[in-house]
This record gives sequence, C-alpha cells and structure tokens, in this order.
Amino acid sequence: MTYTILGRCAKTGRVGIGIATFSITVGRYAHSARSMVGVTVSQAFANENNNAIALRLLEQGFTAKATLEHLKANDEYFTYRQIGVIDRTGAAAAYTGPGVRGWAGEVVGDNYIATGNGLVGAHVADAIARGFLAEPDSDLEHRLLMGIEYGRDAGGQGTAEEHKAERSSALLVYSRHTYPDIDLRVDLHATAVEELRRVYVEYKQYEAYYRHRGEHPRGAQSQEAFMATLNTSAA
Amino acid sequence: MTFSLIGRCARTGRLGLGITTFSLAVGGRCEGVAANVGVCKTQAFPNRTNDPLGIKLMAEGYLPARVMEMFASNDTEHSYRQIAIMNRDGRIAAHTGPGCRGWAGHEEGTDCVAFGNGLVGPQVLDGMIKGFLSRPDDALEHRLMRAIEGGRDAGGQGTPDAHRPERSAAIKVVDRRDYPDVDVRVDVHPTAVAELRRVLEEFKLYEEFYRGRDTDPAKAIPQDVFVAQLKAKRA
Repeated sequence: MTYTILGRCAKTGRVGIGIATFSITVGRYAHSARSMVGVTVSQAFANENNNAIALRLLEQGFTAKATLEHLKANDEYFTYRQIGVIDRTGAAAAYTGPGVRGWAGEVVGDNYIATGNGLVGAHVADAIARGFLAEPDSDLEHRLLMGIEYGRDAGGQGTAEEHKAERSSALLVYSRHTYPDIDLRVDLHATAVEELRRVYVEYKQYEAYYRHRGEHPRGAQSQEAFMATLNTSAA
Repeated sequence: MTFSLIGRCARTGRLGLGITTFSLAVGGRCEGVAANVGVCKTQAFPNRTNDPLGIKLMAEGYLPARVMEMFASNDTEHSYRQIAIMNRDGRIAAHTGPGCRGWAGHEEGTDCVAFGNGLVGPQVLDGMIKGFLSRPDDALEHRLMRAIEGGRDAGGQGTPDAHRPERSAAIKVVDRRDYPDVDVRVDVHPTAVAELRRVLEEFKLYEEFYRGRDTDPAKAIPQDVFVAQLKAKRA
C-alpha cells in the first residue's frame, strides 16, 4: 500500500518524488532522484537494490524504458514489483507486476508517473496525476505535494470499506546540485500527509535563510534573530 | 547549533551518523554517508557541496586528512565550517573553524568522533562519546542513539541560561549495500531526540519484515497481519 508521484519540471529540468504509505519510514526507500539524471521508485514488494541501479543506468544515458527492462532482467521476483522511471528528457516508463496486491496501477504522461498499490481504486491514481498537473507553473515540490494530497482526498489506500492510514511520507527534489533542494520526511505519524504539509510549510519559511547562511556565513543573522522576523510577520 | 557523532562498528565495519539540531529537517542535509567509503558531515555554516565531494574523494582513495586539506583549498569560507570525516577504516579528520558560533569543538573517541557548535560546553561532546561507548556490543544505530541522548542529557545546545531545543534529528547507518540499513528522521518536533528514539524503536520492529518482503515476496504476509501480530506481542 503506497501511492507516489514521480515528476519532472519541463521548464527547469528539476526532478523529484512525493510518496505516502502505510509502512513506516518510507523516505528510506525513496531517496531516488539525482540532478540532471532522473527519478525512480521501486515499491509494493520493493527490490531495494533497484533505485541505485536505475539511477546509475540513467546517468550512463539509458532511457527510462531501457532502464526498466534492465531491472526486469535482473530480478527473479520482478512480477511482485511496482516501478516507475523518468529520465532526463522527461520520458517515463512504469510497470506494475501481477503479484502486487490490492488495486494497483499507474497513470503515465510526459514528465510524470502517478503510481500506487493497495489503493481504493483507479480514481486515486487519476487524482494524483490531476493534482500534479493542476498548477503546471508552480515549483515542482508544490506540484508533487499537491499530487499526494489529491490522492489522499480521493480515498488513498485500503478498500471502499476500510481506509488504511498514511503513516509515513516524503518529498524530495533535486535540481543542479550534488545535494537535494528539498528533502523532507515524516517517518511515523497517524496522518502523515497532513504532517508532511505542516513540515513543508514550516521548512519553506527557513529554506532561503538556511541556504544563505551556508553560502554567506560572514555576518549571517542568528537563527533566533531570523525567527523573530518570522514571528513579527505572522503577527 | 548542532551536535553530531560519526561512529564505526569495529566488529562489522558498519558506519553511521547521528545528528540533532535546532534547525529543521537536518536529516535532509546528510548526503555524506556511503557504504564501503566513509562518512563526511559539514555543519555550523555548512558548505553543501562538501559532503558529496568528500565521499567522491574518499572513494578515489584519499584519506580524511587529505580530503580536509582539499576542502580548505576549495572554500573561501572554510573558517566558518565545522567538518568531521571518517573513512571505512576508521581514520578521522575534524575541523572546527574559528567562525563557528557559541561553544564549538570536536573530540575523538574509540571508533568515533563527536562534534558540535552552539553548545553549553565541552561536556556535551563527552556525554556523546560516553553514550556511544556505553554498550559497545550493540548495533551501531543503538549506539548512535545513545550518543545523541548522551549529548542532550549533558545540556545540549544553548547557554547555561537558555537551552535551545532539538527540533530535528536523524540516524543513518550503512553496511555493504547501496542503500542505508537504517535511515530514520524527525524533521520538525519540539523534542526531536525523544521522538527519534520512538521512530527508531518502531522501525527496528519492522526491519526484518520489510526486508523479507523484498527478498522473498511470494511468502510475504500482508502488513495488516504483521501489525496485528506486533499488537498481540505488545499486549
């Protein structure tokens, strides 16, 4: 049980992933994007080796489709996996094996893959894609989070009779650097999508300050002084 | 304001980082933890390019001391950084620039290096090392957790007059695989160290189950069933 949006911003080339699931600490399985390379995920019965292999293949120049074929050929349990791959051109390839449980599938377009399993139905994947496409000019992290929230609001995980809670979630975006632009997580929470929104809103207030402090340490404002300006503007 | 410890398990060769700070989402700024290579963490006023670069340099075979020299020559603001590096053999280099604020320093212990800034004093580093060494036969993630708790219990961040809360925390441990064995985080929380212990202990209950789903999916029980078994054990 998991639902995920992989996305690429066609304007900037930034790539990222938003993910929510019943399992805990899902961010551990979703650190799977790289600047100027692409983004991938392996979920359901996840082969944990796949993300690193896929990113190496994409880096060497293999397409999303060829990368997926390589993963298939390398895995005796491939039919239990659910996989998405987007390469640096925005081409997308996805697979849901017949061994994956519950309703499982994906919606694939240029620059995005909405994918999930153990969902209440196909409309959840449709909603994730709709959320991602709703504000095409917004920052990628915002669009990914919208995708996840649309998926939750469409019913998310479980069955029509029994909803399965989102207990962990993560949001990751890479741009041009060797480190991520955005890397946020909720590892263990009763409503992990709401909590991810809270973490995101909080972190966004600090994002530019943290970046500036590292790049220009001389005379950098203390974090307390910075927070005082936040409180003032909120008042 | 941050306190961290890089540690190595002498029995297994596993490497890891435990970290906590006043800033948000610190686990999203810990790229420098690489299996079979080493650990590199830059903090205080961090240069985000350092940690991925340090991992590449250690993978090329450079020793931590040489990596530190290359950092110094690659960064006009090196004197504002606090950096610790450990390679897979346990060799260590550490640097606390004079531009770091508050009480700041680093200290080596058996198989570990503790480093922090904006602390109440050197007793915080002593507390971390004592925590790390208290049960040397335990798994590295538990030793890192005790190191962070030891630092917190010795006073942590701030001044004798004003304690600064830990608002985010993370533990990362790598073994031989491309992905971390343990990767747990708390991004925004008023008592992030206590919350990290809760997440770690919960994760350890699921760790084997999640691994089995990957390596033998055909035999995997549904997570609902596993969660019910956990609940029964706790009762």
